[in-house]
Amino acid sequence: MNVGIRRKEGVTVLDIEGRVIGSESFALKSIIDDEIRSLQDGEVKMLLNMGQVRAMDSSGLGIIIAAYTSIQRRGGRIALLNVSGNINSLIVVSKLVTIFDRYDDEEKAILSFHEA
Amino acid sequence: MGKAVSDSSPKVNVEVSTRRNALGKTTDQVIHLDLPSSTQLVYVIDAVISEIASDMGFDKEETEQINLAVIEAAMNAIKHGNGEDSSKRTRFEFILNQEQLTVVVEDQGVGFNRDNVADPLDPSNLLKSSGRGIFLMETCMDSVTFEASGRIVRMVKLRSATD
Repeated sequence: MNVGIRRKEGVTVLDIEGRVIGSESFALKSIIDDEIRSLQDGEVKMLLNMGQVRAMDSSGLGIIIAAYTSIQRRGGRIALLNVSGNINSLIVVSKLVTIFDRYDDEEKAILSFHEA
Repeated sequence: MGKAVSDSSPKVNVEVSTRRNALGKTTDQVIHLDLPSSTQLVYVIDAVISEIASDMGFDKEETEQINLAVIEAAMNAIKHGNGEDSSKRTRFEFILNQEQLTVVVEDQGVGFNRDNVADPLDPSNLLKSSGRGIFLMETCMDSVTFEASGRIVRMVKLRSATD
């Protein structure tokens, strides 16, 4: 798994590539936690680009849920970008569609962080 | 009948055999895999099950489902069953035939009661960061049963079409 980190209009975008399973998930958790820590409360705006994620298991799902609760607690927001195929199925069957905002267009996703 | 592959301090053991019925006709191909309990070795399982599912003609979606279920079972056995104690073994049996793929995963832990596992779809559990493994196994496979007080899980995926 590889994770690229970039900033776009005040939003931290994590481009995640590969398989987020088993112990690889822990590396993603560490990266997300570091990013959350580096930002001020209320300023955590995070977009997880899942377009290049080939597989995810329950531990990977747990990592993004933990990120959601942590960021919510700090008054920030997290959203998902380019979730498709089996990853989308995973989110749907786990009934997490009501929790995560999902976007297919990066510009629209970024814009959503700046809407009231 | 079987072929064992191991080094002097066996980390990963593989054995392949066939089971025949009373008429001597080959029915099942059986692959045994025996690993120390390390989450790092889940990638071995990932590679093996991907190959098996693909060879059996499961389509991409089915292969991904089988892969996910087996990884979840492996992680449960290694983390929760064997407590990541590398002196404890996690054993896998893949039984292939014309009708279905059966995957049996066994750990050396104390077992657990499936009925005591919380429902991850309950609204009060949706934001919990763990507890979805068994649910995903049951979602991805055609049947999932627990034996030996939960130390063994047996999962079946039916082939949708015979060739």
